[in-house]
Amino acid sequence: MDLKRRDFLKVIGATAAGSLLPGCANVETRKLIPYLLPDDEIVPGVANWYASVCRECEAGCGIIVRVMEGRAKKIEGNPTHPLNQGKLCAMGQASLQGLYNPDRIRGPLQRDGKRGEGKFKPISWDDGIARWVSELQKRPGGAVMISRPASGTLARLFSEFMRGISGELLFYHPSEDAPVRTANRLGFGIDFLPEYDLANATYLLSFGAPFVDHWLSPVHFGIAYGQMRQGRPTVRGEFVQVEPRLSLTAASADQWIPIRPGTEGLLAVGVGQIILSERRARLGKGDQKRFEDFYTRFSLDQIAAQTEVPRKEMIRLAREFSTAAAPLAIGGGIAAVQTNGTDTMMAINALNILVGNLGQPGGIRFFQPAQDFSSGEAAMVAEQALADVRGEFKQGSRSVLMLYQSNPLFTLPPSMKFGDVFDQAAFIVSFSPFMDDSTAMADLILPDHFFLESWGDYAQAGITPVPVVGLGQPVVNPLYDTRPVGDLFLIAARQYEGALKARLSWKDFKSMMEAQWKSFLNRQGVNQPFEAAWIERLQQGGWWGAQGKPISVSKRELPPSVASARFEGDEKTFPFYFYPFPSMNLHYGQGANRPWLQELPDTATTAVWGSWVEINTKTAARMGIHTGDVVRVISPFGQIEAPAVIYPGLRPDLISVPIGQGHTAYGRYAKGRGVNPLSILAPLFDERSGSLAAGGTRVRIEKTGKQGNLVLVDQTAEGKKRAPEGERGEA
Amino acid sequence: MNYTDQNAPPGGPYQWGMAVDLDRCTGCEACVVACHAENNIRISGEEEVAEGRQINWIRIERYWEGEYPNAKLKFMPVLCQHCGNAPCEPVCPVYAAYHTPDGLNAQVYNRCVGVRYCGNNCPYSVRYFNWFEPHWDEPLNAQLNPDVTVRSVGVMEKCTFCVQRIRAAQQTAQEENRRVRDGEITPACVQSCPTEALVFGDRNDPDSRVAKLMKNDRGFKLLGSLGTNPAITYLRREK
Repeated sequence: MDLKRRDFLKVIGATAAGSLLPGCANVETRKLIPYLLPDDEIVPGVANWYASVCRECEAGCGIIVRVMEGRAKKIEGNPTHPLNQGKLCAMGQASLQGLYNPDRIRGPLQRDGKRGEGKFKPISWDDGIARWVSELQKRPGGAVMISRPASGTLARLFSEFMRGISGELLFYHPSEDAPVRTANRLGFGIDFLPEYDLANATYLLSFGAPFVDHWLSPVHFGIAYGQMRQGRPTVRGEFVQVEPRLSLTAASADQWIPIRPGTEGLLAVGVGQIILSERRARLGKGDQKRFEDFYTRFSLDQIAAQTEVPRKEMIRLAREFSTAAAPLAIGGGIAAVQTNGTDTMMAINALNILVGNLGQPGGIRFFQPAQDFSSGEAAMVAEQALADVRGEFKQGSRSVLMLYQSNPLFTLPPSMKFGDVFDQAAFIVSFSPFMDDSTAMADLILPDHFFLESWGDYAQAGITPVPVVGLGQPVVNPLYDTRPVGDLFLIAARQYEGALKARLSWKDFKSMMEAQWKSFLNRQGVNQPFEAAWIERLQQGGWWGAQGKPISVSKRELPPSVASARFEGDEKTFPFYFYPFPSMNLHYGQGANRPWLQELPDTATTAVWGSWVEINTKTAARMGIHTGDVVRVISPFGQIEAPAVIYPGLRPDLISVPIGQGHTAYGRYAKGRGVNPLSILAPLFDERSGSLAAGGTRVRIEKTGKQGNLVLVDQTAEGKKRAPEGERGEA
Repeated sequence: MNYTDQNAPPGGPYQWGMAVDLDRCTGCEACVVACHAENNIRISGEEEVAEGRQINWIRIERYWEGEYPNAKLKFMPVLCQHCGNAPCEPVCPVYAAYHTPDGLNAQVYNRCVGVRYCGNNCPYSVRYFNWFEPHWDEPLNAQLNPDVTVRSVGVMEKCTFCVQRIRAAQQTAQEENRRVRDGEITPACVQSCPTEALVFGDRNDPDSRVAKLMKNDRGFKLLGSLGTNPAITYLRREK
């Protein structure tokens, strides 16, 4: 056979990358090197870089992907993207191991055997789609779709489709940020997030906000943090972190204040009261009286007693904060995941109002996000909304469950009994590219492409000072017999008559995106032919506008109430507070099937490939627990066992366990490894945001007498302990 | 007229170096994964890590100081210091560890016979031995970087300052008959670092960011008393 070298490469690429490609659905992505570059410009051994958007967490960083001969080699931040400015986190880097994960779902599957047995057999795409659509049509109005928060065109598609079939669409993502968003909405009356201008702050007072670990956009705030510390010639920003557990973020702080869990809002009120009483507040005339009335209701001594932060310390914080040139208060993390989470976040926001930093450099500034880019009308929901879904399935008003990259069986505590939905649903379909814990319970799996094989866009809702819509393109051929979830929804829409079919008449998802971008770019006044403008946007990785003026904030609400958080479990039987924290590398478990992330040492403990229980040094000594001893953590709702790690940065009355492990499915690297601390939580919620109060369950701990296989990288390559003075290889 | 020796650009030879600002480092470990992706560092797995046989060309060392409630947690990224007087180099019986003219402490993998003297002699424990043949579950190997060799069992490996990126930039500069510009080369760790704690560049160029940072009065050398003359300068954390 007479093959030219280039054709040969094409053949290799096509066989390796897509030997199971189906008949027609994705003609566009079947070319070996898909976009922009004509064949002549592909030189073997020379890399091409494609811009796209990272979808590993909900931040939406711009990325550029290095591709050689049709294979993705390396991901870096997109230097021109306003959010991450060329930088990228560990998770984003590791998305390549999502793309090339050996345990990806390689084609459509249907259940074989009982539900949850984990047995599946292949089904053809035509039959699979037909089955899904017929189940939907059999039960009009019966479908609930739980999706990770989609953005831009995909969000609009999901939203229009679900409205068209009278179903319910829930954008759900486990996170600690829902109270932050809700407090923002209630307090300032603005739906999108502000730019928290860490970079220009001179004094940062953070109540638990884990902005280096996983808060909103850790890369964005990491960049700002570097600026705040050493980016200005004469100013080094001060940084105080108030939280019961010394997190990775707190490690960078100048001072760590281990406050009692759930009382962070009270401390913010105490600090605010002192600022007001010392006449250092910079309030507008209309606010003065209202604020005075609010703050004088509280007694400083009571606050000191409840928070366990001495009055003297509060006064110092208040003076440092209010006299700083550019003070900034932020909140999140453990302070947010309490029953009073939103109130606490509002009390923290009020500190910013008190020092008048709204709209100021180094403060909180709201910038208008991109307008005219339709993302549909579905809102993000928190855990409480899923509890309501359970009710609907129980009554029988809903009976079809659709899952898109959402894993509620892992991220919701069993005490919420969400498993009932999986028992009661007449039909479950999942579009996940991975066999996660919830997808393993599905009747039908119609696997989506991985995001690096997909078209997509991402409209930033705040955080950046300029409006941003990221644009993602396939950087490699689809590896397996998967299909873009957007195409599936458009195919399904064609099976319906009337409005739905008419509204969603695009031939595929890419055409829908192009149409959306065409009208968007038109409205932005781009007077280029669309083809040229589109290619320019693809090369840049999206569209970003110019920086406008900060929006003036007319609403400045104080928290409706400030009370200590409620806890489940009585103090005598369950003497410890409990904080399951999202692991820096695995987040809420999404990272657990990437070996790079499994093997990435948790920075504070150096633990890899497993779970551990963090215990304060003195508490452990009192109970005779050493690092490596397996302990049992018992709550009123369940128990888990994992090896202990002595953790000096923890209140003596607090136990913490990282979230991320303990999967019952999710591939060879994740399945059956470690424990899931969410599994012992009480069904407690923050009232205003409806998010799970993950810090609200009390526990006790017991020794089991067993030794765990805790792996700490606290050793040299030659196997010697690096810190000889540590007690039994203490973390 | 182009110069023929890559390390003889106009204005004199290069001396590569790095500055690590501990006041910026947050311990986020983006550098660690970036390094794994760029340099084909093998996945060790739980059992091998437990035996202390994992490979991390760059690692974040962490130090707990003090007791609750005054506990402090401090980080230090540690990678090969590319010492000017490298203790690993003279002990290699086969000249696998050698010093390049532009200041890199290089390891020639196909010379290495695996005696591990170099690792033994390195005060920073940044040389890693391949106790096992590397393995990637298919198709994870599709990600491997073709610019970097995969090291086999019995070979010592270490940080190269991403020599493949250095050589590519040097070659471009050579073709254009100019020096490599400051910031033109970013090793994978430096590239990813959100806080810009890591800065790489030419120490011989007085205007480079790294040369300026090395003069910062917070600067120190890791285990400086050993006289290894590292190419990396650390900048002390302020509090």
